Amino acid sequence: MRKFLLFLFAFVLLASVAYASPVKLVVVGDAGHNLKPFEWYAKDLKEKFDVELEVIGVPFGELYEKEKVELIAGTGAFDIMIVFPKFLAEFAANGWLYPLDEFVAKLDPKLDDVTPGYRDFYCKYGGKLYALPYDGDVLSLYYRKDLLENEEERKAFKEKYGYDLKVPETWDEYLDVAEFFTRKAGEKLAGEVLQRDFYGTAYYGQKDQIFAWWGNIFASLGGVYFDEETMEPAINSEAGVKALEIMKEIHKYCPPDVLAYGYEELKDVFLNGDCFMVIQWPCVGKKGADPAQSKIVGKIGVSHVPGVKKDGEIYYRAMMPCGRVLAIAAQSKDPWKAYQVIHYLSVVTSLDDVSTPETGLDPYRYSHFAHPEAYEMFANVEDAKIYLAGVQKNMEKGYPEMVLPGTVEYEETLGVALTKALAGELDPKSALDEAAQAWRDILERFGKEQQKALYQELVKGWKAVGLW
Amino acid sequence: MGGLRKRDWWMAFLFVLPVVVILLAISIFPMVYSFYLSLCRWDIGMGGQRTFIGAGNYLRLFSDARFFNSLKNTGRVLLFGVGTQFALGLSLALLLNRSFRGRSLVVTLFLLPMMISPVVVGCIWKIIYHYQYGPLNYLLNLLGIRSVNWLGSGSISPYSIVLADIWEWTPFMVITLLAGLQAIPDDLYEAARVDGANRWQIFSGVVFPLLRPVVIIAILIRVMDAFKIFDLVVLLTMGGPGQASESVAFYNYLTGFKYFSMGYASAMSYVQLAVIVAIANVFLRSFKGRAVV
Repeated sequence: MRKFLLFLFAFVLLASVAYASPVKLVVVGDAGHNLKPFEWYAKDLKEKFDVELEVIGVPFGELYEKEKVELIAGTGAFDIMIVFPKFLAEFAANGWLYPLDEFVAKLDPKLDDVTPGYRDFYCKYGGKLYALPYDGDVLSLYYRKDLLENEEERKAFKEKYGYDLKVPETWDEYLDVAEFFTRKAGEKLAGEVLQRDFYGTAYYGQKDQIFAWWGNIFASLGGVYFDEETMEPAINSEAGVKALEIMKEIHKYCPPDVLAYGYEELKDVFLNGDCFMVIQWPCVGKKGADPAQSKIVGKIGVSHVPGVKKDGEIYYRAMMPCGRVLAIAAQSKDPWKAYQVIHYLSVVTSLDDVSTPETGLDPYRYSHFAHPEAYEMFANVEDAKIYLAGVQKNMEKGYPEMVLPGTVEYEETLGVALTKALAGELDPKSALDEAAQAWRDILERFGKEQQKALYQELVKGWKAVGLW
Repeated sequence: MGGLRKRDWWMAFLFVLPVVVILLAISIFPMVYSFYLSLCRWDIGMGGQRTFIGAGNYLRLFSDARFFNSLKNTGRVLLFGVGTQFALGLSLALLLNRSFRGRSLVVTLFLLPMMISPVVVGCIWKIIYHYQYGPLNYLLNLLGIRSVNWLGSGSISPYSIVLADIWEWTPFMVITLLAGLQAIPDDLYEAARVDGANRWQIFSGVVFPLLRPVVIIAILIRVMDAFKIFDLVVLLTMGGPGQASESVAFYNYLTGFKYFSMGYASAMSYVQLAVIVAIANVFLRSFKGRAVV
C-alpha cells in the first residue's frame, strides 16, 4: 500500500510539473534580422502566454523547401512559420495551415489598420484568414540626395542632357542619371577624386527575385502575368520585351558582378557609397540612416520607382515582392497559444519592430505610417516623414506579386531567362519566349484550369482594392 | 548450405534476418521505390497525384537543355578540377616524399583546406572573389591585371567553382599519393640507381607503375565526390548567374526540393547514378588490368 501511495505521489508530482511547464512552440523563418523580435520578446511571451519559443532560422532562399518538406511529411515540426505570401496559397490549399478566423473574435488582429494589399492577398486564401502580417514589402527608389544637390554635378548634367538634374521619374530619366553618375576610379565625383569605381545604379541579379526589378518596368508599361481568359503567359508580350531591353540598358551602369547580387550585396553597394541609386525594399532606407550600417547617413533620398509618361502624367508601378506573414501550422501543438504569439508580434510590438534598423521588417499598418517619431534612427522627424511618404507613395501604386501555387517556380524560371538576356546569351524576345514556354509547362503540371480559376480570383481581388 | 542441419539453418537465418530487414528498409526499398517514382509523374505541390508515365521522365531529361548545361558544368569540375588536383597533388607529394626539417608541419598545413568545413570554404572564397573588395582582384590589380568578374559572369563563374574545389581538395590527393609513395620500398630506388637510371627513368619506370593503384583509387574517389558537387555551388553562386554554374546535383536538388517534381528528380538521380557507375567501371577495369603490386 505504501509503495502504491509513493508511486501515486510521484506520478501526481511529475504530472503537475509537466502541466505547469510552458508550452514549447517551434518558430521557423528566414535566418537573420527578421527573426530578432522572437528573441527580443521571448521573456514577455513566456510571462504573458506561458510559452517557450524555439527559433529555427534557415537561409532566405531555402525557406520554402524547408517548410514544405516538413509540411508534406506531416512531421509537426513547426508551430509558427514565417511564410512569404507567395507560398501561402499553396500551403493553405493543401490544408497545411491552421485557419485563424475562429480566433479573430477572441483577439482582434486589427486588420482594418493593415493596408489592403498586405491584408487581402498576403494573409487570406479562399476567403479565409491564414496568417497575420509581419513585414510589408514594396520596392522604392533610393538615391544620393547629396550628389543630386551638388552644384557642380547639376551643372555638368544640364550641359550633357539639356535638362535639370532631378530624381528620375521615367525610365528614360533613370537611364540618363545612371549613365551620368557612372564613373571610373580616378575620375571626380562632387569635386573629389574617386578611389574606387562608382556606379550609376545596381539591381537584384540572382534568379529568385530578379523578376521584381524587371517587373517594375514591365508593370509600368502595362504588362500582366497571364491573359485572364486563355491563361496564356503574357510575360513575353511587347511590354515584357521592352522592359527587358530597358533593363539591358540599365545593366551597363551597374557593377560588373551585379548578376550575382542578392539582397545583401545590393544593400551594401549603396550603403557603402559605391552607387548613386538603387531600387530596394524599404528596410534599406532605415538601415541607411543607421551609422553602424551605413556610410551615407543623412544623404539618402527616397522616391517612387520610375515609370512611363502617359498624357502628361507619370504612370509607375512598384513591385511588392517578398513580404512576410506569420502563419500557424495545421499540426501545431497549441494553435491558440501560437495565435496569441503572432498576434502580439503583428499588433502589439509591430510599430517597434518595423521602426528599428535592427530588423528588415517594413511598415504595413496605417498606424506605422502615422508615427514618424518612432523611427528614431533618422536625424529628425522630418526625415522620417520623408522616408515614410516615399514608401507610402510606392505602396499606393503597388503591383502585387503572384501568389499562385507554383509561384516559386514561375519566378525562378523567369529569373533564369532574364539573366540569360542580361548576360547576352539570348536576345530579350527569345529569352522571354523561353520563359513563357516554361510557364506553360508549369501551368500544365499544376493544372491549367485550377490555376486559371485562382488567377481570375486574384485579379478580381486586386481590382477591388485598386492594385490592378 | 547443404552441410547445415535444418535447425542450424534456421538459427543462421534468424541471425541474418535483422541485417536483411535493415538493408531492405534503408537501402533496397528506397532504391526500388525511387526507381518506380522515376517512372511516374509526381508533383507534390498540389494534391500530389502520382501517375505512371513509363519512360516519360527520362525522355524529358534528354530534351532538357538545363540538365545538359548542368552536366557540362559538372564535367568541367571533373576534367579541370580533379585533373588539376591530381597534377598538383602528385607534384606536391613527390616534393614532400623526402626528409627535411619541419616536414610534418608542412604536411599538416597542406591538409588544412580539406579539414575546414565546406561551408566555411564557400564563405572564404565568396569573400576572396568579391569584385570590388576581394583580395584576389586586389592582387591582380597590383600586377596590372584588370579585375575579374569571378561570380557575376556566366562564362567565368563555373571556373571559379572549379578553382575553389581545387584549393579544397588538392590536399586529399597530396596525402593519398604521399602515403602511396612512402609504401614503395627504398630498395627499389637503390636498385634502379645502381642500374644507372636517371630521375625521370626512376619515376616513370619504378615509382609511377607502383603508385598506379593508389592513383586510380584517389582519382576515382575524387571523381565520385566531385560529380556530386553541391556545397560550393550553393555558397558561391547559387548556380548563377541564371543557371550558368548549376551542377547536376544542384539542379537535381532544385527539381526535387524547390519545384517538388519528385518523379523527374528521381529520373535525374538514376541518370546520374548510371553515369557515375560507368565512370567508376572504366577506372576499375584499368585498375584490374594494370595493377602492378
